Amino acid sequence: MTEQAMRPQFMGARVKRVEDPRLLTGQARYLDDIDLPGMLEIAFVRSPYPSARITGMELNAVKSAAGVRAVLTFEDCPILLWQRDSYQVGQPVLAHNEVRYVGEPVVAVVAEDRYQAEDAAELAVVHYEPLQPVLDMVQAIEELPRRVHSHASNVFYHKEYTTQGFSDAFAQAPRHLAATFRTTRQTAVTLEPRGTAAMPDPASGRMTVYASTQSPHRIRGDLAELLGWPENQVRVIVPEVGGGFGMKANTYPEDVVVVWAARHLGKPVKWVSDRTESLLTDVHARDDIHEVEVAYQDDGRIIAIRDHLMADGGAYPAYPFSGAVGETSLASRVLTGPYQIPYIETVIDCTYSNKTPLGAYRGVWGPIASFVQEGIVDRVARSLSLDPAEVRRINMIRPDQFPFRNAAGMIYDAGSYGESMEEALRLINYKDFRVRQSALRAQGRYRGIGISVFVEPTAMASSEAGSVGYESVFIRVEPTGKVTAAMGLGPTGQGHETTMAQLIADQVGVNLEDVVILHGDTDSAPFGGGTGGSRSGPIGGGAALVAGREMRQRLVKLAAHLLEAAEEDIELGHGQAWVAGVPDRAMTIRQLAEIAYTHVKRIPPGMPIGLELVARYQPEQSVSFSNGTHIAEVEVDPLTGLVQVVNYVVVNDCGRLINPLIVEGQIHGGVAQGIGSAFLESLRYGDDGQLMTTSLSDYLLPEATDVPRITIEHLVTPSAGEGGIKGMGEGSLIGAPAALVGAVSDALAPFHVMVDRLPVTPDDVIEWVTARV
Amino acid sequence: MKPAAFEYQRVTTVAEAVKLLRDAPDAKVIAGGQSLVPLMNFRLTRPSLLVDVNGIKALQHVVWDGTYLRIGSLVRHQQIADHAEIQKHFPVLAVAARHIGHWAIRNRGTIGGSLAHADPASEWPAATVALQAEIDVEGPQGIRTVPASEFFQGYYSTVLQPDELVVAVRIPYPKFRLGFAEIARRLGDFALAGAFVEDDGGQGFVTWFGIADKPVRVHTVLPDNMEARREAWQQALGTLAIADDSKSRRHLAVQMAERAWQHSRLEGGKYLSEEAAGGDPL
Ligand SMILES: Cc1cc2nc3c(=O)[nH]c(=O)nc-3n(C[C@H](O)[C@H](O)[C@H](O)COP(=O)(O)OP(=O)(O)OC[C@H]3O[C@@H](n4cnc5c(N)ncnc54)[C@H](O)[C@@H]3O)c2cc1C
Repeated sequence: MTEQAMRPQFMGARVKRVEDPRLLTGQARYLDDIDLPGMLEIAFVRSPYPSARITGMELNAVKSAAGVRAVLTFEDCPILLWQRDSYQVGQPVLAHNEVRYVGEPVVAVVAEDRYQAEDAAELAVVHYEPLQPVLDMVQAIEELPRRVHSHASNVFYHKEYTTQGFSDAFAQAPRHLAATFRTTRQTAVTLEPRGTAAMPDPASGRMTVYASTQSPHRIRGDLAELLGWPENQVRVIVPEVGGGFGMKANTYPEDVVVVWAARHLGKPVKWVSDRTESLLTDVHARDDIHEVEVAYQDDGRIIAIRDHLMADGGAYPAYPFSGAVGETSLASRVLTGPYQIPYIETVIDCTYSNKTPLGAYRGVWGPIASFVQEGIVDRVARSLSLDPAEVRRINMIRPDQFPFRNAAGMIYDAGSYGESMEEALRLINYKDFRVRQSALRAQGRYRGIGISVFVEPTAMASSEAGSVGYESVFIRVEPTGKVTAAMGLGPTGQGHETTMAQLIADQVGVNLEDVVILHGDTDSAPFGGGTGGSRSGPIGGGAALVAGREMRQRLVKLAAHLLEAAEEDIELGHGQAWVAGVPDRAMTIRQLAEIAYTHVKRIPPGMPIGLELVARYQPEQSVSFSNGTHIAEVEVDPLTGLVQVVNYVVVNDCGRLINPLIVEGQIHGGVAQGIGSAFLESLRYGDDGQLMTTSLSDYLLPEATDVPRITIEHLVTPSAGEGGIKGMGEGSLIGAPAALVGAVSDALAPFHVMVDRLPVTPDDVIEWVTARV
Repeated sequence: MKPAAFEYQRVTTVAEAVKLLRDAPDAKVIAGGQSLVPLMNFRLTRPSLLVDVNGIKALQHVVWDGTYLRIGSLVRHQQIADHAEIQKHFPVLAVAARHIGHWAIRNRGTIGGSLAHADPASEWPAATVALQAEIDVEGPQGIRTVPASEFFQGYYSTVLQPDELVVAVRIPYPKFRLGFAEIARRLGDFALAGAFVEDDGGQGFVTWFGIADKPVRVHTVLPDNMEARREAWQQALGTLAIADDSKSRRHLAVQMAERAWQHSRLEGGKYLSEEAAGGDPL
């Protein structure tokens, strides 16, 4: 290939998203916009108890209510998630004899519209005999007050790991400290709630499932397996998806019931979650405790960390990805972050409770581990009266140590750890800050800075979206020279139609607007692993590069034959192929395509007819680490307990960028969610097991006015994979909470505050400040 | 999250509205709908009939006659924030109005709806009590006038009968200027705590919201010394039945009273922008 071919025109450019016009003008079609003739709608009767035995149901009034077509219970639809039996516990898609969390679906009411379905659902009488709920994970480990599932231990996942030599190193270190870190239940709160619709096709016998999901092929496989149908009888179409954040990577009970109902009623059926159902039943996340002990030296060097990781997994392992396992097992492997801490010892316990199942939420383990890791560093610095930046420098993995094997055996590829921190410190003017800080303190104003240096494992072999380590792209140059590509990714707003088109346009030598990216239809897309775990850029993008390159080679071969030149001399670009240095000897890609499909006698011998191919890409490394540094400057009002984020910088390294505009948008969103995690969002259960935050007036999300201007800079340490791309979908939310609450600790240092929880509320601040004056 | 079925009628006169309310016992007035519609969607309330009063022109005026400010019950929160004469003569109302929800909510929500709804964390019930306003109410028997101090009975509860309509609020020109302060978790949220304070020189009144089940105008001494004032706020607070009593709630109540007092002493543009009094919570 020639020099010119290697110089990308679109990759790395600040290209505006092709998705935005339709999204911003309200033209996008979401799941709830799907309205098929004769479509029925479902309302679920949900459990009002955290745990109770079902002793009877009276459903006659429901069945005879206006517009009702069917009333379903477990007897009708006896399907268990986890039939594969990984956890000895299978969640029934409708409660079977017992309910185990508030909001668990018990009865499905199928009616002509949602209003009638809700009117009828109100008439259901379910008799319950309440049982004592299991609500505290520390007690649950001891099987107290009882087992959530009588036949299974409350601890459904237990794992231990110790670096060789840990005990001696820990014991011999001159200094030790202990701390407990607590994160609080959150959920993704996508703008568009969950939803599923299903349409049986009597002619073909196939079922079309419309799903608001991140994993089109995975949900197709799950539904086929759970319902016992051949996979090729199910077509999944994913319409526009208004946010997923990991929460839409699961297959939920409602999905199965909707499809089951459509098949048995022979009618299209739809269910769309309302906001209360979302807060009750979308997978929750981040319900974790870390009991930590740290051994360190007088110079701030950290020697060893011992951590008991606990996560409250809720009533069932979310299917087919338990967030509790994901959060703890990965956290335990990356707990040392960007620091060369040689020894760790971890014990993991994931427990059942009578709460909503725990699943994935953007960053999964990351925001928790970063919060713990940076909290440890800040505690070490405070205890030694050292500058927190200096303690980070002392412990940081150096560039000459890559590839670096961490204390848990994870291999880090090259990154810019120290450099990202130094650059971020410069951007926020760290040196001057300390002077400003003390001047303001003298006036009774409390400013603080929090530093969060994060690592982000991306492009892993498996993620919440599935366990497929590769991605596939089907690509076709149409007879008119336009390019259509299809992939099995499940974008939920990330802009894949733009980024993947950028990569393909460069390779095939056409303009960006000539490329259309299709996704989210299992009939047209090659098998793929969906979107999650920051895999779409590096793995999906890698596949786009490989497919584009293969197509380019075909076009070059064809052009060389027709223009009677050597393949090495053919250049492609702007929809043209020409002989290097002789621009007059040229053909348009349209002309080439026409020949490839219609004047096939002119195709060189051995070359296939047409311009269509499927290519797959699996990175050689099983993971590639992005990295970066977030620094937050906050002001805490000790009188009201409110925290204002006054300054925020991000230095991000995700390898080679496909589109900086999109990367920055991802960072802005992650920081906004980080502000929610740090100060606002919390799903609170009462002592009776009721979820008390069932509307957005109780579950507080950050608003536009809570999010400051964010300064962003990029560093580029390419991965060894295709295009040098690393993932970056989660890093911003991994880094942000630690920076934000670290800044609160710094601001309130005069009150000896070290934040040990997410989120920090005004009540907490008032408590800390008034307790110490 | 769909409301139960209901009938709907739009009226153009108070008399029509009152007649409909009298004849259909489960009927409810809908004004801005910013409190009622969410309650209906949660099925926490299920009126048989909605009487839409938005077409009643007579309820949409703000009149300042030099002694009384009269605000029709259908006047929107944002109209109060923007009203030139209110900004001039009752600036505390303009300042308080900006703390109600967000712009879209203020453009629809009405003062009459807010008073009838009687959320103890709302600005208007406390404002009317603090300013010693009178509330005009019309029912089948005609108009009656209720002092704000007697209008509110507790959580979401007033002396309003099911067939009565709030028609207007009458507010006397205050001898002393009031100050206002509020804290909420986020911009536009209901208050965690808020206060109106009137300083009559050495003594005065504080009216909190978000603290007890209804607003009460409490007399207090107002010494110059800040520590002594803190004592005074605490004493005043002691006279109230505090909801969800906690250390931080008491702490915030005292802070807001103090900020409201400081606000009352600001001049001109500063008063309206509230900068020195803490400004909008962020
Ligand atoms: C997100 C959000 C944030 C909000 N934040 C705040 C806030 O910070 N502070 C605050 O005070 N409010 C807040 N509100 C509520 C808002 O101010 C409402 O507008 C107000 O409480 C009710 O006024 P309305 O005109 O919308 O009344 P509606 O919702 O139409 O009615 C409310 C109740 O009053 C009755 N009613 C209405 N008008 C009359 C009348 N003239 N006579 C008799 N009864 C009547 C109705 O029957 C109903 O029971 C918020 C609302 C939302 C959605």
